[in-house]
Amino acid sequence: MDAPTTYNDQLLFHAAGTRSGSGFADIDIGSLRPALMAPYKDLDRLRHDFPLVLLDEPGEDGLGLPLSAVINRLALDLAPRGVEGERLRRLLLRLEREIRSLVAQGHAGRLTELWTQALPRLDVADDDPARRVLAQAAESLPADGELAPCDEHFPARAIEQAWRHAQLEKSRAFHGVTDRLMRQLSDILRAAWVHSQAGQQPRALQAAVGAAHAAVFDFEQMSRLVARRTPQDELPAARRKRIEWALDVLSRQAFWPGPRAAEALPEGLRFDDCASAMRAFRERLPQAVELLKAIEIGELEAAGRYVEAEHDAVFAGFDVHSLGAEDFALLPDALVCIPPERNDAAENAGLLDMLSSGMPVKVLVQVSDLLEESAFGSGHFAFGVRSARLATTAMGLGGMFVLQAAASALPSLKARLALGMARRGPALVTVFAGSPAPAASLPRYLTAAAAAKARAFPSFCYDAAAGANWATRFSLDGNRNADEDWALESVEYADDGLQRVVEPVAFTYADFALTDRRHAAHFAVLPRARWHAGLLPAADWLRLTENEAAGKLPYVLAVDAEDRLHRVIVDSRLMKAARACLLLWHRLQEHAGIHDSHAERLLAAERARHAAEATAPSPAVETLPAATTAQAQEAAAPADAPPAAAASDEAWIETVRCPSCNECQQINPRMFAYNENKQAYIKDLSAGTYRDLVEAAEACQVAIIHPGKPRDPTEPGLEELLERAKPFL
Amino acid sequence: MGSALHHCVIRLHEEHHALEDYQGGVPRWCNGCGDNAILAAVQRLCRDEDLAPERTVFVSGIGCSSRFPHYMRTYGFHGIHGRAFPLAEGVKMARPDLHVFVNTGDGDCCSIGAAHWIHAIRYNMNLTVILHDNHVYGLTKKQASPTSPTGFKSNTTPRGAVLQALNPLTVTLGVQNASFVAQGVDWMPEQLYDIIRRAYRHRGFSFVRIIQRCPEFLPKMFEPWLHDPGRTLVLTHENGLQPSAEVSRIYRNQREHDPMDLDRAREIASAEDPIPVGILYHNPEIPCYEDLRGAGSPRSPERTRAGLEAELDKYTIWPQEDQGKLPQAA
Repeated sequence: MDAPTTYNDQLLFHAAGTRSGSGFADIDIGSLRPALMAPYKDLDRLRHDFPLVLLDEPGEDGLGLPLSAVINRLALDLAPRGVEGERLRRLLLRLEREIRSLVAQGHAGRLTELWTQALPRLDVADDDPARRVLAQAAESLPADGELAPCDEHFPARAIEQAWRHAQLEKSRAFHGVTDRLMRQLSDILRAAWVHSQAGQQPRALQAAVGAAHAAVFDFEQMSRLVARRTPQDELPAARRKRIEWALDVLSRQAFWPGPRAAEALPEGLRFDDCASAMRAFRERLPQAVELLKAIEIGELEAAGRYVEAEHDAVFAGFDVHSLGAEDFALLPDALVCIPPERNDAAENAGLLDMLSSGMPVKVLVQVSDLLEESAFGSGHFAFGVRSARLATTAMGLGGMFVLQAAASALPSLKARLALGMARRGPALVTVFAGSPAPAASLPRYLTAAAAAKARAFPSFCYDAAAGANWATRFSLDGNRNADEDWALESVEYADDGLQRVVEPVAFTYADFALTDRRHAAHFAVLPRARWHAGLLPAADWLRLTENEAAGKLPYVLAVDAEDRLHRVIVDSRLMKAARACLLLWHRLQEHAGIHDSHAERLLAAERARHAAEATAPSPAVETLPAATTAQAQEAAAPADAPPAAAASDEAWIETVRCPSCNECQQINPRMFAYNENKQAYIKDLSAGTYRDLVEAAEACQVAIIHPGKPRDPTEPGLEELLERAKPFL
Repeated sequence: MGSALHHCVIRLHEEHHALEDYQGGVPRWCNGCGDNAILAAVQRLCRDEDLAPERTVFVSGIGCSSRFPHYMRTYGFHGIHGRAFPLAEGVKMARPDLHVFVNTGDGDCCSIGAAHWIHAIRYNMNLTVILHDNHVYGLTKKQASPTSPTGFKSNTTPRGAVLQALNPLTVTLGVQNASFVAQGVDWMPEQLYDIIRRAYRHRGFSFVRIIQRCPEFLPKMFEPWLHDPGRTLVLTHENGLQPSAEVSRIYRNQREHDPMDLDRAREIASAEDPIPVGILYHNPEIPCYEDLRGAGSPRSPERTRAGLEAELDKYTIWPQEDQGKLPQAA
C-alpha cells in the first residue's frame, strides 16, 4: 500500500476541493450528522425545551414554560412518592410524548386542548382511575397557554409574548398613576365645590346627606350654620382651569385602554416594518406630549405645589422636541417583527436610525439562514454579514438593549428577554430559528442549537442601562465554555473490540456546516483503512501556524444513519470560514473581558515590575514607626490645650449647650436673644446691668452663662455680685 | 417618574422654611422646663430636613408633653390620655406618606398607655416617638408617675413612693421588633438634636426617651448630674453619636457602643447611674407594618363597594317561597 500516494489525494481535496481517485468513501454527506448530535436522532421522543407553553399573564415563569417543566410540576403534585406513583408518572411522560408528536404534526392550540386530544391516544382503559386523574388534571394544570414548537414562527411568537407581558405591567403602572391622580384632582374640585356658595345651599346639603335621612334635618338651618364657619376659599380660576384640563386629558387618553388584561393592549402597536412604526410614532407624539404634561401638572396640583410664576413657562415651552427616552416610561412601546425575507427591504432601511434615535420600540430581526452563499458565489461564506452582524453593529451604536440568541436558547434566556422588554428605550433582538428545511438535514431546533454552539450565532446580551462600562453591560451568558475557542464536549463510542471509549471533541464551525446539504462539497469521508497520523481534529488544526499545518489535514467526526462513526476531511475554504468565525468570537470574548488583550498586557507589565521589585532592596522600614508617632503627638497637642479664652473679662454664653429654657430671656430679653437654632447668646451687653448677667447665670439650668467682669464700675452692689459670679467664671 | 419634564419641574421650585415658620402658639410651659429644649430641637430638625408643614403631624396624649402639637405650626392631633400611639398608628396607616411624630409623657406612655406602647413597638411603624420623661404628672400638679423615684412625695404618695421606678428603656428593648431605642437629656441640647435627627431618619418605630427636668415639682432631682458630667455616660460609635470636641472635653465619660449589639444595649439600659446618653439600639432591617400591609392605597368608592360585595357574597340567601311572609322559626 502506497501510503504517500493515497495521502496526496487527501491533500489535494483539502487544498482544491476536488476529489480524484477512489480513496474516499462513497457515503452521501447529506446523510451524515455531527457526532455530537448522534443521540438526538428522534427529537420528538426526547424531552427538551420545546414545545414551549406561552403563558398569558406575566409572572415568575416569564414568557413561557417548556412542556416538560409543566409535566414535571404536575408529576410532583399528582403522583405519590415512591412505587405507587410510578405508573402515573410513566403515563404522564407518555402523554407528554403524545402531545409533542401532535405539535410536530402541526396541531396548534392551548395545552388543555392538546391534552384532551392526546389523552385518548394513551393505551389506558376507560374505567382506569388513572385516566380520570389525567382528565381532571387538565383543569388544574400548573400552567396553560398556547404551545409553540421551535419552527420558523417561534421567534416572532416568543418576542411578541415577552413584549405583551411587559406592556401589561406598564399598563398596570400607568393606570395606578392616573387613577390616583384623577381621584386626587376630582377630590380637589369636589372640596372646592363643597366650600363654595353653591355647595352650601340647602338642596346641595340634602343631596350630600343622602336619601335615607333626608327628612331628619332642617337643611335651611344647616345651610346657615355651615356657611358661617367655612373659609371663603374659592378655587382660583386659573387653577380650576388647569385641573379640569388635566382631568379631561387623563380621562380621554388613548394610549392604554384599560387595566384588565383582556383590554390592556391598545391597537396599532405591532408592526411588520420600521417605516410604518416610525410613521405611527410621529403621529402620536403630540398626544404623548399632552398626556405627559397633564400628568405632571396633575401631580403638582395634587400636591399643591404648582407655582404659576415658574411653572407656566416650563409647560408652555415643553413640546415634541423636548421629549427624551425617559419620558416614554409610562407609554406603550411599539413592536416591530420584521419577517425574515424582508430584512433588506426598503422599508427597513431606517432600522438603525430608528434604534439610535431613542424611540421606544422593540425590534425583532430574524436571521433565516446563516450558511447562505455570499454575493460572490463560488462557495465563499458570507457570514450573513447583512443580518447576523446586525446585533454587533447595534451594540456599537450604544444606548439600547441588544440580545442575540438562537431560537433554541430563547427559553433559557427568557429572563434577559423580559429585562430587555421592560427597559426604557429601544431594544433589538436578533434570533436565528434554525436552517431552512430542504438544505438542513436536521430539525430547526438542532440546527439552531448547533449554530449557537459552533459560535456561528453565539448568544450575547448588551444592556446599556445595566451599568457604566462594558464589564457590567455585556454578557456572554448562555454560551458553553465561553472562555474557550470552541465548546468542549465528549463523544462516547464503542471501538473495534466493543470497548467504551470517551473522546473529547470541540464543536467547530465546520461541524455546524456539516448540517447543511448545500455545503456537502466541502467534506470528504475517509474510510477507516485510510486514517493516518496526519489527521487532526479541526479545532486543533486551527491552532497551528501555517508552517506547522503543512501536511496536516483537519477532520470532523460524523455519524451516519446506522450510528457508525466516520472521520470527514474538511477543505481549506471551509476552514478559512471557520477561522473567520473564530475571529469574530474572539472579539465578542474581548468585549466580555475574556482574554482581554489590554488587560493581559497590563497584567504582564505589572508582573514584570513586581518581579523586578522583589529583587531590589526595600527602604528602611524601621524608621517609619518613629515618624508616625511624632506626627501623632503633634496632632494631639493642640487638641489637649483648652481654649484660653475662658478666663477673659467679657461675658459670654456657651451657646451650643443652651437648652432654650427661656430663663435668661425672662430676665432681660434685650440682652439675651435666641439665634437661628433657638439657642441663647448675648445680643447686646449694654442693654442690661451686671446684675442681670449674674442673675441669669444663677438661673441658667446648665450654668453656661459666664458673667465675666463688670463693665461699669459704678454699678451698685458690685462686691456682692462679684462674689456670686465667682462660680461661673 | 423619571422623565426629564419631571426633573425640570421639581428642581425649579423648592421651598425652604425658617425655624420660626414652624412655631405655632407661644409655649406656656414653665421657665426652665425641659420641654422647651425639645421644642427647639424638633423645630431645628424640621428646618434642617425641610419638612413640609402640611405633611407633618404631631400626635400627643395628655400632659405637659402633650401640649407640644399646639406649639408647632404643622398638623397635629392632641388626643386623649394614653392614646397617642393608636392615633398615630391610624394616621400612619391611612397616610403613610406623612411624617408622623408622637409626643408622650411618662404617665401617658408608661401608665395608662402601657398596653398601646408595647404593641406599637411590635408594629414598628415609621413613627418618631419622643417620651418626655419628667418623672411626675406635671399638668395635674404633682402626682407620682411610673418613672418617679422611690421615696418621691407627691399628692398621691404623701408618704413617699413605694414602688421602684419603671425603666422605659429596658421595657422597650425587651419587646420583639424594637428597632430604634435612644436616650437623651435636656441639658445636652447638641446630643438631643443629634439623637432626634437620627430617630427621624430611622425608618421604623424610633423610641427616644428624654430625661427632662421639671423645675416646678422636681427642681433638684438632677442637680447631681448637672454638676458632675462624669455621671453621664455618652455612647459613641460611627453608627451612633459622635460628640464634638467641646462636648467631649466636658463629658469625658464616654464609651464606644455598637448600636447593633442588642445584649449590650440591654445591659447599658439597666444601669441608671451613670445615665447613658446616646443610641442604644438601631436596627434598620426590621420591616415596617405599613409596608407589610400595603397601606396607603387610596380608597375609592369602587374599592369600598368591591370590599362590601366580597364580604356579603360569603352569605347565601335562600329566596322564600311565600312572598311577603317571613319564615317562621321552627
